Amino acid sequence: MFVSDAPAGASFKVKRVLLDKEVGKRLADMGFTEGAEGAVVRGGFLRGPFQVRIRGYDILIRRSEAAGIEVEPVGDWSAARDARGRGRGFRHGHGRGCGCSE
Amino acid sequence: MRNDMQGFTKTLKIALAGNPNAGKTTLFNALTGAHHKVGNYPGVTVEKREGSVRRGGREYRFVDLPGIYSLTAYSIDEVVARDFILDEAPDLIVDVLDSTNLERNLFLCLQFQELGIPVVGALNMSDEAQAKGIDIDEKALGAVLGLPMAKTVGPKGGGIDRLLDLIDEAAGAGDGADKTIRYGSEVEDRLEPLERLIASDARFASRFPPRWLAVKLLEKDAKAYERLADHPKAAEIGRLAKSSIDWLEKHYAKDAEIVISEQRYGYIHGAVKESVRIVKKPNFSLTESIDKVIMNRFLALPIFVAVLWGVFKLTFALGEYPMAWFESFFGWVSELALAAIPEGFLRSLLVDGIIGGVGGVFSFVPLIVILFFLLSILEDVGYMSRAAFATDKVLHAFGLHGQSVFPMMLGFGCSVPAIMAARTLKSRRDRIVTILVIPFMSCGAKLPVHVLFAAAFFPKRASEMVMLIYAIGVALSLVSAWALRKTALRGDPTPFVMELPPYRAPTLRGVLWHVWEKTWHYVKKAGTVILASAILIWAITSFPVSEPSEAELESLAAAFSAEHPEAAPEELEAYLETAAAEYSLERSAAGSIGKFIEPAFRPLGFDWKIGVASVTGFAAKEVVVSTLGILYRVGTEESEESESLREALQRDSGFTPLIAFVFMLFTLVIPPCFAALATIRSELGWKWLGFAFAFMLGLGWILGFAVFQIGSVLAAS
Repeated sequence: MFVSDAPAGASFKVKRVLLDKEVGKRLADMGFTEGAEGAVVRGGFLRGPFQVRIRGYDILIRRSEAAGIEVEPVGDWSAARDARGRGRGFRHGHGRGCGCSE
Repeated sequence: MRNDMQGFTKTLKIALAGNPNAGKTTLFNALTGAHHKVGNYPGVTVEKREGSVRRGGREYRFVDLPGIYSLTAYSIDEVVARDFILDEAPDLIVDVLDSTNLERNLFLCLQFQELGIPVVGALNMSDEAQAKGIDIDEKALGAVLGLPMAKTVGPKGGGIDRLLDLIDEAAGAGDGADKTIRYGSEVEDRLEPLERLIASDARFASRFPPRWLAVKLLEKDAKAYERLADHPKAAEIGRLAKSSIDWLEKHYAKDAEIVISEQRYGYIHGAVKESVRIVKKPNFSLTESIDKVIMNRFLALPIFVAVLWGVFKLTFALGEYPMAWFESFFGWVSELALAAIPEGFLRSLLVDGIIGGVGGVFSFVPLIVILFFLLSILEDVGYMSRAAFATDKVLHAFGLHGQSVFPMMLGFGCSVPAIMAARTLKSRRDRIVTILVIPFMSCGAKLPVHVLFAAAFFPKRASEMVMLIYAIGVALSLVSAWALRKTALRGDPTPFVMELPPYRAPTLRGVLWHVWEKTWHYVKKAGTVILASAILIWAITSFPVSEPSEAELESLAAAFSAEHPEAAPEELEAYLETAAAEYSLERSAAGSIGKFIEPAFRPLGFDWKIGVASVTGFAAKEVVVSTLGILYRVGTEESEESESLREALQRDSGFTPLIAFVFMLFTLVIPPCFAALATIRSELGWKWLGFAFAFMLGLGWILGFAVFQIGSVLAAS
């Protein structure tokens, strides 16, 4: 699972960042390291940026970055989806860099 | 290396560092009062602020480092901060920490400790942390991390004395190098031989702390490898670093630089656990409930547009009055000069050239101050990252960045501070694209030109026409950004990783400081570049001198009297004065230039007068209006509100609504005034200035040509 798969309100635990040099290092420096807990607060309109809570603060990242952060779901993601979005929430992509439309 | 300085010096050089949004600037202001010196770090366009405070016979000289999250070599700000510490060797680093967001803030702090200079932590925003139920035991935290810490409240100046006490103590003590983070035995076993090898050259080790350099080598830091080149055993060290990295990556099955970050966060997490208690659950409620609306996926963009609209309306509604005061002030000054100085070139230079040119530009200051005031409030409240969230999708599609939005909005006021504000963009390519499209955001000085032509040729739809021009400007900036990213500035998109700070009440002082800084850039330009160009424009419009002969004047007077039999003698006199002015202007250097370039303007429907007006517009865009005033013989001091200039333009058979529109478009797109061009040069260099100039002139001409030709065909059919 990746951050980009998470519906609004879903919590996660970071497994690893699968992005290249600079972005990967930057995300790690901003707190996306193994075991760090976080949550997706919301996603932007038309697959815009994500608002993600990590280490107690909020950060904005694009979908392409979110798709490179592998996470382990915490709690029931489908419940988060039902509570928040009910279908009109996120379109959850299939992992990394997937440009496919659903 | 710095032992000779410690404890005894009267002046302490202190680097003030920390994350963005940690309240660093507010604390800097609280520490140093109003005594600031603003400059640049050598060779880069990163702003450097210095200030000092005295206490008990000691001077504390603070240098405000750029706000950063880490000390990698990936961003200019980070490189500037570490180069300052390494090369200028301050006595001490004060790391400003956001108490509500400790873990991430401490990440940078650990890296400062490794630089071998005493570090003092300022637990800033401690009042906010308390309100959120975050209880920090600063003594315990300081003990674990090995650095003294004081709680501070920037805006109220709380804890400043305690902070200065700790600075005194720390400056007298050692550098604290023994207290730096341990990365765990796997990493430490790799670091130790590297450190030893680096330290083997005493001269080198005195310049760069061996442990810091060893860590940076494992982090594959390009700049660290550059510095290593000076070491006599550089090759050997490089090989050892390479094999250590390979070992770590095999052992941990991830990149070595990520391992280092993870070890740091692990260490911090442990330290925070021991010294910070959460007495109640983190409370995001106020920010959260505002964001539910502001950042709603469907509302975010419309709200952004509405906010922008509101800022405009308010700016122009409030700006009207002070603008009128400025204008009458400069009018009064020219009256004085007219009375005091005998007629001649000196008077003409002073009144028409300097007071007219610079005064015209200064009359926009109120408008700009108000716009910047409103935008600074939005910035300080924390709205700009929300605006980036709302607009990133659109901007990204055109190759811009969510962070381009603030500089571009400033562009509606004045391109000079807007181009400088693009410094916040971390990637050079993003910054260049943003700077190149900022002039398309129609600035305050272009507005009079738009208003004049809209009112003269589209009287029923004047305000819609002006809005249309603004909209075309925005559209052009997006399309040309896209085109530039596809051609001259191709490359991978830069990552969008941006902190979203909670909303904070802006302080009046902070907002005023921002306004002052940005306005000052503008005023400084007005005082130098605009003054110089005003004189230049005055010179080319006044020389070579040629005045109509008596006979010519008489025939003009006769023609005028025949046309207006009831005209009063004053009217005749005014007419003759303007006619003489036009006569001189037509034969001046500017007139010759206008006639010389007329063939190039013909395909756009323009005559030489428009050429002259456009040329003089390089001094400042609103000068276009006063130049037209002279060329149309309606008076030498015309404004866009002037009925007579409007009528004169309407009467000119060479002007049709189509040509008027093409001219508005042309004014919007061609290169900006000299002040803005000079700013592009100082930010990006001559090469990009040349590119920008050619690009805008070419685009302006092509657009004007296309619209005029297509419009003419449509009108004919």
